[in-house]
Amino acid sequence: MKTEPVNLTDGLLRSVTKPARYVGGEWNSVTKPLSSDLVRFAFCFPDVYEIGMSNSALQILYYLLNQRPDTWCERSFAPWTDMEQLMREKNIPLYSLESRTPLSQFDWVGFTLQYELSFTNVLNMLDLAGIPQLTSERSAEDPLVVAGGPVAFNLEPMADFFDLAVIGEAEETIEELIDLYHQHCPNGRTSTWDRSAFLRQAAAIPGVYVPSLYAVVYKADQTVEAIRPLDGTVPPIIQKRIVKNLNTMKRPDQLIVPNTEIVHDRMSLELFRGCPRGCRFCQAGMIYRPVRETGVDTLSKQAAALEQSTGYDECGLLSLSTSDYSQLGSLTDRLLEQFSGHHTSLSLPSLRLDSFTLELMQKGSSTRKSGLTFAPEAGTQRLRDVINKNITEQDLLEAMTLAFKGGWNGAKLYFMLGLPTETDMDAQAIADLTDSIETLYRGLPRSDRPRRLELTVSTAVFIPKPHTPFQWAPQELPEVVNKRQQFLKERFRNRPVKYHYHDWHSSLIEALLARGDRRLGAVIRDVWAKGQTFDAWDDHFKLDNWLDSLEKFGLDVSFYAHRERAEAEIMPWDHIDCGVTSAFLYREYQKALKAKTTPQCRIACSQCGATTFEGGICFGD
Amino acid sequence: MVTNWRIRYSRKGPAVWLAHLDQMRTFERSIRRAGIPVAYSGGFNPRPQLAFALPIGVGIATEDDYVDVKIDDQQNYEPDVNELWCRELNRSLPEGLEVQASRLVTDDKKNSLMSRVTAARYRLSSLELAKKVDRFQTRFNEDTWMVEKQTREKRSLQDIKPLILDIQTEGKHLVELLVCAGSQKNLRPELFLQLLKMHQFLSEEDMLETSITRTELLFAPQHMKVADTNIRDWVSGLDV
Repeated sequence: MKTEPVNLTDGLLRSVTKPARYVGGEWNSVTKPLSSDLVRFAFCFPDVYEIGMSNSALQILYYLLNQRPDTWCERSFAPWTDMEQLMREKNIPLYSLESRTPLSQFDWVGFTLQYELSFTNVLNMLDLAGIPQLTSERSAEDPLVVAGGPVAFNLEPMADFFDLAVIGEAEETIEELIDLYHQHCPNGRTSTWDRSAFLRQAAAIPGVYVPSLYAVVYKADQTVEAIRPLDGTVPPIIQKRIVKNLNTMKRPDQLIVPNTEIVHDRMSLELFRGCPRGCRFCQAGMIYRPVRETGVDTLSKQAAALEQSTGYDECGLLSLSTSDYSQLGSLTDRLLEQFSGHHTSLSLPSLRLDSFTLELMQKGSSTRKSGLTFAPEAGTQRLRDVINKNITEQDLLEAMTLAFKGGWNGAKLYFMLGLPTETDMDAQAIADLTDSIETLYRGLPRSDRPRRLELTVSTAVFIPKPHTPFQWAPQELPEVVNKRQQFLKERFRNRPVKYHYHDWHSSLIEALLARGDRRLGAVIRDVWAKGQTFDAWDDHFKLDNWLDSLEKFGLDVSFYAHRERAEAEIMPWDHIDCGVTSAFLYREYQKALKAKTTPQCRIACSQCGATTFEGGICFGD
Repeated sequence: MVTNWRIRYSRKGPAVWLAHLDQMRTFERSIRRAGIPVAYSGGFNPRPQLAFALPIGVGIATEDDYVDVKIDDQQNYEPDVNELWCRELNRSLPEGLEVQASRLVTDDKKNSLMSRVTAARYRLSSLELAKKVDRFQTRFNEDTWMVEKQTREKRSLQDIKPLILDIQTEGKHLVELLVCAGSQKNLRPELFLQLLKMHQFLSEEDMLETSITRTELLFAPQHMKVADTNIRDWVSGLDV
């Protein structure tokens, strides 16, 4: 395959903001000598460099693929609008950072889908790369376009654009796909290779979804009647893949160290996958089950290797609920000991509120002080029971007492508005909760509290996600959410509380896309064609473009977002099996409506279905 | 007594596009990877103590820049460690950054690199730039060279003529500029190109495409006050 690297002139790079994002050359980035049998994989993140480089899936897969002598994985990110404009003017195709090779020359172009509002960016990157956007328009000369990440658990709105998807944890699946590709193209892609035979064989690999091999039939009421494989050789259900043992998997001993600052500019250790808590709104908490932990020895060794190979002076702990890591005390003791004298600090995110974890925070911030963040998610106990978030007001106030004594002068509190069964009362209770914290603060002797109280309250708009107990639930209407936001805004006036709230516009479209079906593909493409990209950026998001395109194709946002779905309704993603069963999810939904909680996995098994993977804490690991 | 490890470095390739803070962070991490016993500042957020002689703008290459790395004298290291550190750091720097020379010096606040920088030489190159500059010098007979200077807050006009110490052209394309540099008087070479553009000696596109390399940093001798009148007398052959 002939590859001409793109030419980035000084003039081009001088004309754009933060040019370091576009030139590569970072420490631990990988280059390899070209040969005809080298499989070339472009790992794409459909947002800017600073966000994409903070994604740990990118770092893990980049490392794994480049460990293979037969594969070279490179990276590409969405160029910011100024760069995009110049690339289009000068006919520069989207390229990889490592070798500046146009993406159209790659064997594989892989996108990680972390949020639905990146869909228009995927289409824009394919267009910039000169790769046909539609699967049906691609030929043997085009790369295979593959998706992964949590949003691939309902890929339907993007089904027209991806040749295949990796469902679940990709570490093993991606290697099997590359092996299969090697069999088909031992000396690189030719113009006569049998792409469709490859896709059919790929579909037989567990965890691989090839959307074009399934036909979707709709009922007169627009709901799905059936999702049918094209013939008997195509599996009717695609079960996600997991890595069973996190201690024996290959884990990176090096990370790409960016030359320019990124969002999470540190090394991070993955404590465990999955989450035992079972919060009913949380998609990650369902789709990554069962919980599998990494051992202290493995993490400590990895930390030492990463510290040496990256030069980072900050280490983060990564998981869905850090304080649920069973050996958190011994891990943090070990890490603090091995970091001591190196000026390397430990940062602890997503902690639950108890004295043990606050003590840890103080240890962690012995060299650097970080802010406290709590996520009660809802204002009343009733509503917290609905969402199965097992935090009480008592927990919060005790934690704040300790925090004030420990020298923190406040905290960030995260809530959601528009949760199922939420009333105006529940929203008001958010403000009452901050009042209680204020009263608590004023009640402490001056010697036991810092000088000025500072609280931050953020409310997001609740978005029902697929593969969660709330996949049947309607999203709250914009006018109701808006009313509650305005109420809180008024209520926090002249209080020591900073209030941030997220506009409902983009949350509405996120709700549309999250539970969307294949008919939305045409809508997404139409929105993109109007020049809309970076939907996840509030100042780029335009609701009207979405509503107009929906109307053009005879679709209604409320059908997807505001309709309560029937128990028996076939969901557009029902052929994707994340292990957790629909029966369990529906049971949970019914319990939610009655404000009944479900114990977490470590206390009692609630028969969610994840035991099917025969690993993790379900089997007492 | 505090020891400084003084590095003379160059940058080219992708590293040219680092902003000053990016480059500082990149050096910090590289120094940590190389295992050099750098001293840290105190306080809540201790940082490795690095002092760059002169920040360098985004998009400018350099063949002659300096940074002082403060060494933690509490830690054990051999007196002849310079070559080893130099080798280790070069193994730890990302593409485009390279240590050219280094030595251990005693820290003397009054004579920090930063306070002694006085002038800098730049090589500018683009299609027929030398010819355009020659034409500019023969035809443009103003006493002041006013350029619009854009800072984050406001625009202002600045006379850059007094800040330019020498202009040499070489062949058709190369121009060498000697300008004031440092904390008191400093000229970014882009402003000279801006002046050419303002008076239609250079197109906007050619201005942006002009490659800029800092070829030499010039320092006032130790214990000498920096005064602009005598810069021309000592700008050659100084030992840093």
